[in-house]
Amino acid sequence: MPGVSSDSTRGALVPLSPESPGAVVYPLRHGLKSPISRLSISWSRGNSLRVSVFAAPSSNGSVNDGDGGKVVEVKLGGGDGEISEAHWRRIAYGSVSPFALLQSRKNAVSSLSKMSMNSSPYDGDWWDYIMEYSKDINALLVNQKSASVPVLDDTKSVITKGEEPTSLKAAWELLEMFYAEKPSHSWLPERLVDWLADYDSLFSGTHPTVHSKLVDFQKEFVNLQVVEDDPKYWEVMSSALAVGWLNIVVKMLRLHGSYQLDQLSNRETENGLVEAVAVLISKMPRMRLEQEAGKLGECYKAKPDFVKAWEKWRGQINKLDSSAFWFQCAHQQTREGLRSMLQIMLGNANSLCSATYNWIELYISHFLYMRPLTVGLESMYSLAQKSIQLKPMASAHRLMGLIIGILGENTEVVLAECLKGFGPWIVAHAIELLTAGSDHAEMLLHEERQNLGGISIEELHRLVYAQVLSSFPLTWQIAPIYLISCMKHGMILLQILLSKQPVQDNQLLLKSIEICRLYELHSVTSNIMKIAGVHHWKHGRKGSGVFWLQQARDEYRLNRIALQLFDSVGKTISDESFKQWEGLIQLLGSDSKTAGGLEFLHKYRDFKKSLRQIHDGKATDPARQAVESLISLMKNPSTPQRFWLPLLYDSLKLLNWKERPLLNVSQTNLLLNKLQELSMARLRPDFIESELPPQALNSVRLALGTNLGRAILEE
Amino acid sequence: MAFAESQNPLRVYRIPQSRYIDAVRWLSPVSPSDRFAAIAYFDADTNSPSIEIAYVDPNPQSSSPTLTPQSSWTSPSRISSLRTAHSTPQPLLAAATFSGSLHILASDLINGGVMESEATVSQLGFHSGPVSAVDLREGGIECVSVGEDGRVNLVSFVGDSSKLNYRRIFDSNGLVGYTAVKWASPSEFATGGYGFGIQWWDQRTPGGPVLQFKGNWCQGKTSGIVHSIDIHPSRKHTCLAGGSSGTVFAWDRRAAQQPIVLSGAGTGEAPNSLLSESEVWEVQYDRYTRRLNIGNISSTRILPVMICSEDGILAVIEQGEEPLELLAEPCAINSFDIDRQNPSNVICSLEWESLAILTRS
Repeated sequence: MPGVSSDSTRGALVPLSPESPGAVVYPLRHGLKSPISRLSISWSRGNSLRVSVFAAPSSNGSVNDGDGGKVVEVKLGGGDGEISEAHWRRIAYGSVSPFALLQSRKNAVSSLSKMSMNSSPYDGDWWDYIMEYSKDINALLVNQKSASVPVLDDTKSVITKGEEPTSLKAAWELLEMFYAEKPSHSWLPERLVDWLADYDSLFSGTHPTVHSKLVDFQKEFVNLQVVEDDPKYWEVMSSALAVGWLNIVVKMLRLHGSYQLDQLSNRETENGLVEAVAVLISKMPRMRLEQEAGKLGECYKAKPDFVKAWEKWRGQINKLDSSAFWFQCAHQQTREGLRSMLQIMLGNANSLCSATYNWIELYISHFLYMRPLTVGLESMYSLAQKSIQLKPMASAHRLMGLIIGILGENTEVVLAECLKGFGPWIVAHAIELLTAGSDHAEMLLHEERQNLGGISIEELHRLVYAQVLSSFPLTWQIAPIYLISCMKHGMILLQILLSKQPVQDNQLLLKSIEICRLYELHSVTSNIMKIAGVHHWKHGRKGSGVFWLQQARDEYRLNRIALQLFDSVGKTISDESFKQWEGLIQLLGSDSKTAGGLEFLHKYRDFKKSLRQIHDGKATDPARQAVESLISLMKNPSTPQRFWLPLLYDSLKLLNWKERPLLNVSQTNLLLNKLQELSMARLRPDFIESELPPQALNSVRLALGTNLGRAILEE
Repeated sequence: MAFAESQNPLRVYRIPQSRYIDAVRWLSPVSPSDRFAAIAYFDADTNSPSIEIAYVDPNPQSSSPTLTPQSSWTSPSRISSLRTAHSTPQPLLAAATFSGSLHILASDLINGGVMESEATVSQLGFHSGPVSAVDLREGGIECVSVGEDGRVNLVSFVGDSSKLNYRRIFDSNGLVGYTAVKWASPSEFATGGYGFGIQWWDQRTPGGPVLQFKGNWCQGKTSGIVHSIDIHPSRKHTCLAGGSSGTVFAWDRRAAQQPIVLSGAGTGEAPNSLLSESEVWEVQYDRYTRRLNIGNISSTRILPVMICSEDGILAVIEQGEEPLELLAEPCAINSFDIDRQNPSNVICSLEWESLAILTRS
């Protein structure tokens, strides 16, 4: 069998061929002593595999403990290490409301645009809706892990740790900035700068990054006496400057030894140069909408203003670079370090390339110092290609693939990268952003495709996500929200999903029924109820079974179980056990439609009740009631034949009522006819004999005869 | 429908738990400022059910309440019903499971909330299948359990034996299933079940229920299940019940077979006054009231009632008034509990693996 390691006694399950690099070995703890003869694997709920292990029968025929087989569940590792399963579920729960809200707004907008033909569907508030949706989803992705507090005292810590970033949030923010923010692509480069500042650490696992260099330096930093003597100090500062982390650079520059009071006097020129660079850095012009409070740099919204400031700033740098003060600076490292920083600020391609560690960092540094006016995805894409050429990488991080896809303006690649890197959740939710502003993407994703069985790519991804939700016991309840947004196959899959839910537990059953009610799936409701009814009935919970079958108005099964119930009635309805039956009969109610064949029980109970009241043989009114119940029982076609004789035998004292005959002629004749029918039926082979004394039939016949005579006389 | 926010300030805090919550109860505090809650969890990742005692800090520095787990007890099966008895400093918990066992736990709130299993009934024949509901008598020496198997068992725990003894009060052999139970007095209790049925039991009259209520008010309509019963200590003649189709009704034992419908099916009113159309999972008398004195309210009037429902509603219903909605969640509210000592505090469990703590002021 492929997939089972040859050494089956160790019982390891290998999901892939051992040669493949990603093979994971899951040990099975089946505890079987004998060798395994057969293995059967199927999906269980969620990420679990159900493995049935069959042991080989022992050769000597004796039965030992641990023989036979065992079923074990193997939990396959959740694909994403950085987000726990519980966090995934929290994201899934939280995205339901934003998704549903956006869908209903979409429906409202599209019905509105149908009414007034001339208005575009995506006018007015539409971008606000999309942005609100994106922000709501983004808020869910915040890592719950508590932020670690920096151990160093504040003056010496160059990087402060906020919340632990996740790739998923980084990916969503990329999608948000490119698709959801009302397109104003001139700000995009600066948005990417901010994005990298937040998420550069994510690349540290697979690539060298500025962030990881900073973290490394921070560790050594504590023990450094003269910081400016360390070449790393200058190296790290250049790198941070290249990716635009101005606050960090200025803070580090001010840790330079020349700032110390005792050295200020004899390092005056040196200190002046350091401070001049720090000031230039903090005055860097940025073309962006707004700047977070406390962040360095001066921002300009309009291009002409920015260009003017930019030229002026570069002029100042050039002036400083060619100043004579450098010759008076005695400290070599400071001199070289500061001048290489100036080269970065002047956009020296070689300096930028050596200061950055991967193509994204290089890319960002180009935006900052070489082409701050880059506009349009096309030029951004070609710049990215150039950066990749300068800093090629063996393996690409999943976020890098996504960036390339987005810049390449290829919707299918973006979706594929999302799916590959982040799973079905992000695809199902990101499609809303992708289609928001692009007619091309909307056409592509909404077009019904033959090769997908007539559904669109959008529907396909929603169905896939719903399928994932359905397979977990805690999230299946939110799958319907996504299924009903799928026009073609959603409803059918929803019906299948609901029909597959377990019925054993009332609470779960009622939750399924509630979903059926919301989507008006009445036939599914009644099917579920029938399944539940039969399940309860089979497990001896007769009351529950009858209730559910009644709710489902399933007369066929009610009649069938009625036959079984009557068997036990014939044996057990004595006065003592009447209390047990009372509840069930009450449950049945008097409505014959919902009771099916069980209606008989209700009348039988009334009859028994009135019989019990006349045990003294004197009360005539209850006796009359009993007679009426008897006649209506005997007339009713739902009264099983096998109860005729016990009923009549129970009524002997009515038939032999002392004062006067209680039954009139026609009533007596009816009963005599029934008795006759019964005598005929006894000849048939399938007749069920009641457990009555052998003379019962004769005594009933005699009593009926006597009563007939008395009734004739009276009339 | 009235919303709580507009009338009185209500603070709601949702605390994600990363585990499914099967039940939640307040524990009676040792000191007035303490808040302890017992929470029955089910961890779907590891398939392990447990009960935890958590210290609820209502006002930490971070302004939203925090839960600090104190102790944990691993249950052999998922918890189907959890009740607490208000005895200090060792509140008792009765936990019934889906595998048909009953566990009495004691928690020492003074010494760090350590929880110990005092006793267990799990022998074959106690219940067949899940125990659907359990109730601890106030003072906590007796416990009644019911199931859909039709068994009504009385468990007494006097003495220190770890094996509990139980007495079968009734066995309907599955002909009638019970889904809710509540003590009314030391000898009386009420059970609820299918078809909106309520049974009144008196231990002094053995052999079966003393009184049965089967509302004939749902004739022709679909019937339902009673999920929860409450009985007010000052109004023992009235059973409050909540169940399917948003139904909340009271049965006054003195008024025979006519239910007093507070909400849901059979109200016959305009549909906009319908609070909820889905399952009402729990009902409790709301002791938090701005009224001066319960004694002043006529004994035929039903006291204010809090309910939670499958469609995410937590609300207070007063007879003849607009219901007051406290919460409207996008997911089901499966259970809630009102703090006895400080009824302004409500804790409730949400379907999406989180708890909500409400403070009314």
